[in-house]
Amino acid sequence: MTDARRTELERLISRISLGDRDAFDALYDATSAKLHAVCLSVLRDRPEAEETLQEVYIRVWQSASRYASNGLSPMTWLITIARNRSIDKLRARKSRPSTAPEDAAAALPCDAPSPESATIMAQERRMLDECLARLADAQAGAVRAVYLEGVTYADLAQREGMPINTVRSWLRRSLLRLKDCVSQ
Amino acid sequence: MTEDAPLTPQEEDEALAAEMALGLLEGDDLTAATTRMAEDADFARAVRDWHERLAGMAENLTPVMAPARARHAVRERLGHASPPLANDPTERRAWWRGPMGAFGGLLGAAALAVLFILPGQDPAPQPGFQAELQVQDSEMRVAARVDGREMEIAMEGGTPPDDRDLEIWWIKPDGSAPISIGLVPRDGNLRMTLPDGLDPAEDVKIALSDEPLGGSPTGQATGPVVAISDLTRS
Repeated sequence: MTDARRTELERLISRISLGDRDAFDALYDATSAKLHAVCLSVLRDRPEAEETLQEVYIRVWQSASRYASNGLSPMTWLITIARNRSIDKLRARKSRPSTAPEDAAAALPCDAPSPESATIMAQERRMLDECLARLADAQAGAVRAVYLEGVTYADLAQREGMPINTVRSWLRRSLLRLKDCVSQ
Repeated sequence: MTEDAPLTPQEEDEALAAEMALGLLEGDDLTAATTRMAEDADFARAVRDWHERLAGMAENLTPVMAPARARHAVRERLGHASPPLANDPTERRAWWRGPMGAFGGLLGAAALAVLFILPGQDPAPQPGFQAELQVQDSEMRVAARVDGREMEIAMEGGTPPDDRDLEIWWIKPDGSAPISIGLVPRDGNLRMTLPDGLDPAEDVKIALSDEPLGGSPTGQATGPVVAISDLTRS
């Protein structure tokens, strides 16, 4: 995401927090196709993804005033709301208790990142694909499935035919390796 | 990678932050990590960094346009739906003035008659309004209540079909086009603050139309009107 785009999205969210409906429409124009893709990726069901997308934007309208204090970049904040809401729906479908509270993104304590850390994160973002490619296929696949499809440890254990603790240890190491790679 | 060496405490924290961001924690682990986020700024920052890092995967997804009705539904659910232009050249016959409108008028008159017949009723104890909407050829019954500028819609009976939604319309007495005020909730109540320009009064009608899931894709009723009633003082 370019700095200009980030600044524009931040400006829109700040205007939305003041009740500006035009800003809300503009944010919807700029981001809804991406957030819809996130909902679809997790839910794999068109009507449910569309319904969830609506809930995501209702939540954005309602919690825009808390955005400034959470320290996330605007696109990450939006994606996190969409992903958490979709995962809640997915787990409700499977009658499992939610493990991704939908307020998680909004509830992050106030500690805005410094400009340097924003730059570092942008660099890491560019490295992500390359670093995922450097993981073994199964590891990269598991990380993607957990993030983009809301797969749980129990699902992974079943998928890989391994005990949950083994899968957990394996995924944790994959994540650490990913972080080492992107922060190089 | 040294698969068998135990993680260092720093690695444990980092892995925990990743699991928190991914929503992989459950039960006591989740409670402990949530508490720690509030108390440990470094840990909270690590979780935030994981959100940023992982969001790159979502940013790489191919965008998928949502149908226009989704935006329309969001506006309605937030009470942002604005009245259509008064002179819309594409507007079709004004259905609320047709036979159904007359039918609604009769229903309204009937409701008023009931009010007069009921004994011991205080004439107008509250500033509230209400409308009871019985859906034609269906068990579905919808109640609309207005208290001040707060409006509440509830499905009081029957079950909506899985593949259709009922859209709620506010019809002003001045003959302007009906204004959509939302969809009848499938369960629970829909509560909203009436947008500017919608003032509850006894000559306002509330109607329900049968629409595709998510409501009318055009902002005008596209399906048949299945119920209509005047607002009456409650």
